[in-house]
Amino acid sequence: MQETIMHNSRELKKEFIKKWVQGLHICCSSKKQMNLLERKNKIKLSADIALASAKNSTTCWSKAIISKAEKDEQNMILVNNLSGSGSKFMCAHQKVSCHKRITSKKILKKSYGFRKKMKKMEPCDHGSNLATCIAKRLVKKRTQVLKRLVPGGEFMDEFSVIKEALDYILSLRVQVDVMKNLVNATTILN
Amino acid sequence: MSSRRSRGIPRITDEQIIELVSKLQQLLPELRNRRSNKASASKVLQETCNYVRSLHKEVDDLSDRLSRLLSTIDDDSPQASIIRSLIN
Repeated sequence: MQETIMHNSRELKKEFIKKWVQGLHICCSSKKQMNLLERKNKIKLSADIALASAKNSTTCWSKAIISKAEKDEQNMILVNNLSGSGSKFMCAHQKVSCHKRITSKKILKKSYGFRKKMKKMEPCDHGSNLATCIAKRLVKKRTQVLKRLVPGGEFMDEFSVIKEALDYILSLRVQVDVMKNLVNATTILN
Repeated sequence: MSSRRSRGIPRITDEQIIELVSKLQQLLPELRNRRSNKASASKVLQETCNYVRSLHKEVDDLSDRLSRLLSTIDDDSPQASIIRSLIN
């Protein structure tokens, strides 16, 4: 299993590097002067979009990054070049289903909130059940935090957000590796 | 959960959740060295959140450094072409 993970990481690395270099050319090769903050944001944005598009729409978090980037018109050139026109259809579809999910979640939440109040008022049983109650609440709390950290997490259920977090962490590591190598290479050259 | 939810969607078993949590644990640098049955699910999730946050911060720092470094390199200079060939 470890070998599959390593192999996938290597493939992802290659795709990411390819797309990121493309992205950097698009954002940073213009002759106009950019201040440091602008350049940094462009670098970070191109890295995130490159990472997301290297996943080729296989994960939710990557689709979430791309659809978020597409909302800003300034990013459209970058997104189109890196992800190709195929994802446009995917994202429109995602937006509709996301919107549906949000509305139905809102309805669910309203009824859920009431039920939660009822649940809280119920006393937990003594002994080991109390510990399980607390453990479950802690897990719930932590999962809520994780939902905010993983892109697109707010739309996912708890099981999916943990699954997506697994893949997201592996991909983030690839991103950090490549960026570190570039920083080292550039530092040496300077 | 309302009955609407459980209809058609397969129930997530506890084993699946435990398997996910143990896989997460393998990834986390803090918990990798401990024996797998020692860390609770909430601890693993907490470490996951911390790890994702630290990875985000690293990306941010690296982007910052790159921005400073690249701004000093003229696009047409030999260094730029070396970097390009290194990346490719």
